[in-house]
Amino acid sequence: MSLWLHRFTLLVTGATFVLIMAGALVTSNGAGLAAPDWPLSYGQVFPRMVGNLFYEHGHRMIATSVGMLTIILNIWLWKSEPRLWVRRLGLAALGTVIAQGLLGGLTVLLQLPLAVSTAHACLAQLFFCLMVSLSVLTSPGWSAPRPLLEDEGHPPLRYLCGAASVAVFLQLVIGATLRHSAAWDEHLPTSLLLAHLGGAFLVTLVLCGTVGTILSRHRGQPYLMRPAMLVGGLLLVQLGLGLAAYLVRLDSPGYPQPLNPMVSVTVAHVACGALVLATTILITLRALRILKGRRQFEVSNFKSEIQDKLIAEG
Amino acid sequence: MFLKRTRFWVVLILIVSLLALGSSCRSDEDEDELTNDNTTDAPQGKPYVSKGNEGTIKGLASLTGDAPAPKPIDMNADPACASKNPNAVAEDVVVKDGKIEYVFVYVKEGQLADGQKVGGLSFPSPATPVVLDQDGCHYKPHVLGIQTNQKFQVKNSDPTAHNVNVQPKGNTAWNQSQPPNAPVIEKSFTRAETLIPIKCNQHPWMKAWVGVLKHPFFAVTKEDGSFEITGVPPGKYTVVAWHEKYGEKTAEVTVGDKATATADFAFASTATASAGGGSLEILPALDIPMLAHH
Repeated sequence: MSLWLHRFTLLVTGATFVLIMAGALVTSNGAGLAAPDWPLSYGQVFPRMVGNLFYEHGHRMIATSVGMLTIILNIWLWKSEPRLWVRRLGLAALGTVIAQGLLGGLTVLLQLPLAVSTAHACLAQLFFCLMVSLSVLTSPGWSAPRPLLEDEGHPPLRYLCGAASVAVFLQLVIGATLRHSAAWDEHLPTSLLLAHLGGAFLVTLVLCGTVGTILSRHRGQPYLMRPAMLVGGLLLVQLGLGLAAYLVRLDSPGYPQPLNPMVSVTVAHVACGALVLATTILITLRALRILKGRRQFEVSNFKSEIQDKLIAEG
Repeated sequence: MFLKRTRFWVVLILIVSLLALGSSCRSDEDEDELTNDNTTDAPQGKPYVSKGNEGTIKGLASLTGDAPAPKPIDMNADPACASKNPNAVAEDVVVKDGKIEYVFVYVKEGQLADGQKVGGLSFPSPATPVVLDQDGCHYKPHVLGIQTNQKFQVKNSDPTAHNVNVQPKGNTAWNQSQPPNAPVIEKSFTRAETLIPIKCNQHPWMKAWVGVLKHPFFAVTKEDGSFEITGVPPGKYTVVAWHEKYGEKTAEVTVGDKATATADFAFASTATASAGGGSLEILPALDIPMLAHH
């Protein structure tokens, strides 16, 4: 397993996070249609990046870079990664980033239809999930030998983690729909606001349940405890940012242009949402790595015993 | 197993893309529904023949309560705008001595003295185009009216590029870039629609409104809040005054032979434009007493 491959995967994941923030800046500034054409902007590769074109064309340039980096990552994976399924996960990431680019173009050419813009925002999070997963799977810590544990208790932690990942992703889908259903100078639709609020309640419930379970059952496992503490902290920050985003967004239609703090708070809310999802995925993968159901656990123990015996017998 | 999962995601992405495409491509039927009311999009009817006895509707638009202070615009994001228009302010509310500028006043419906409905008549489109200029990174004028099929020209007098983003509900939407010294963009609107927002996404403070009607009975209030609609056939009409922030007011007006009818409109400074009516679909914010704006 190449340490440099892992570092490069982290670089692409970091670039994806920057790309998500750049996309959020486009939405918060109402810059999505600043360049009516695509893939070029005003027919140029490097137009004069003034006004909102700075955000829109900047987003396109970062996206292109992430696409290129994903291609390089795939070449690297196919050359040096021994696990076929990890290589295929890399291919899935490449397919997703290509689809994401096409959706980005489609949303510009079709003039921001809600469904396409929302799909673009959601696919970005999905791509980020894939990159986070690849970063975890290529890390030296993933391959290091670790004692397996039985996933005792009800509900099993692995299921809770899976539910938390799905809940956070669905909340991001509602959030993306909410953001794209009204421009900065329009009021947000009440029904979606309420749905997002309800989603926040559910996510809090599921994530607190997950963190609480880790605290009670695996307190001595820093492999799970550290990301659990991190996601708990991020959730608190995200809830605060959500309330702040609602309050600053409420006044936005009254101003002649998108202003700070509306732009910075809403972008921070999107970015922190992505981090909550990334950390939840990290916990889920780690839980799947070390926790096994009773039968799997017994089989794996049996295998270890036989291996030990064979070694002892020479 | 993995191949199956990959296939699942590919199919899911395709389905989402197709659904998105489907929802974004509005059918003609949908467009008909958007404007198919008896006030704005009635079918082409009998040509109106002037009898020489037309009158005038005139009046004033005023604001009761305190007028908000003009909101300054920060144009530093584009130095070309900032240098040409250093003291720009928003034009959503322009009030002078209690009178409001940029109120779009139009005949919504009514009946002529001879019994014909104004919506059932057709009026020729003027040959002169209506021009919207981008000057100092502002639209000039901020609110304008136009007849269906009349030429609509957009020009750029600025040393910077703009994108002209016209987002109607019943007409065809378009978004076109216009660099400095580019030729005039010429379009027209085929359907009546009040009111269509025009935006420049490059410079988000730039916004204009265009009211499209199939008849010529409309006007925009001047700096002193006054308006005048001339050439109105004698009859009884419902006149609407629309303001982008304060919403709509209506008045019933009777125009006599070669007479002048008066319709004054008073907007309250506490009012805000609400949902419904043309393109003005603004949904209310979450109505929680502690957080709501009153």
